[in-house]
Amino acid sequence: MKLEIISFGKISEFIRQQQIEISDVINTDQLKSYLETSFPQLAGMKYKLAINQNVIQSNQSLKNEDKVAIMPPFSGG
Amino acid sequence: MSEKKLKNIFVKGAISPGFIADSIAKHATKTAIGGHNIFMGQVRKDEINGKFVAAIDYTAYEELALTKMDEIREDIFAKYPLNCMHVHHSLGSIQAGEICLFVFTSSAHRKPAMEACNELVERIKAELPIWGKEIFEDETHQWKENI
Repeated sequence: MKLEIISFGKISEFIRQQQIEISDVINTDQLKSYLETSFPQLAGMKYKLAINQNVIQSNQSLKNEDKVAIMPPFSGG
Repeated sequence: MSEKKLKNIFVKGAISPGFIADSIAKHATKTAIGGHNIFMGQVRKDEINGKFVAAIDYTAYEELALTKMDEIREDIFAKYPLNCMHVHHSLGSIQAGEICLFVFTSSAHRKPAMEACNELVERIKAELPIWGKEIFEDETHQWKENI
C-alpha cells in the first residue's frame, strides 16, 4: 500500500513530506510501530495521526493512497 | 462532506491594531449588540535559559484547522446567543509584542459574549492544529508548548 506522509511542528524537522510503500501494515497501530522504528526520535514523543484530515482517536484501518498527518501537541494562540 | 466554503481564520503575519480597530468600528451599524468581548494573544518575550524569545513562527495544518474551527464555531453559536463571532490567527513569523490571535464576540448582553470568547480561546488553543516555534535572539529555536 502507498501512503502519503506529512508532518508538522517539531516532527517536521526529522520526517519530511514523502510517499511510502509498505506491505505489512493495514491499520494505524501498525503504522505507528512502523514509523517509530523508521524514525526513532518519534518513539519518545507525544503525537497524533490524522488520516485524510480525520484525527485518529483509536486504531483504524488504512487503505491505499491515504494521506497520513503526524502531529505533535498543538501550540497555537 | 459538505461543499460549503470554510471561513479562513489565518492571516499572514501579525494582526495590526488598525485591523482590530476597523473590526470594532464595523459593528457600529449592528445596533442590537450591547456587549463586545475581545481577546488578543500577544507574543511574549519569554526568557528561557538566559535567552529571550524574539519571535514565534506559526505554522498550521490549514485545511484541518479550518474544518475544526467550523465545528467549534457551530458549537459556540448553538450554545450562546451571539450576534457576531470573529477569529483571526497569525501564520509566519510574529515578533515579540505583536498580536497573533484576535477573538471577538458580540451579544445583546455582556455575559454570552464574555463566556463564548473565553470558551473559544480555550478550544482554539487545545483543538486547532497550529504550532508555534519560538525563535530566540541568537536564532536558535524551540517548539512552544501550550500550558
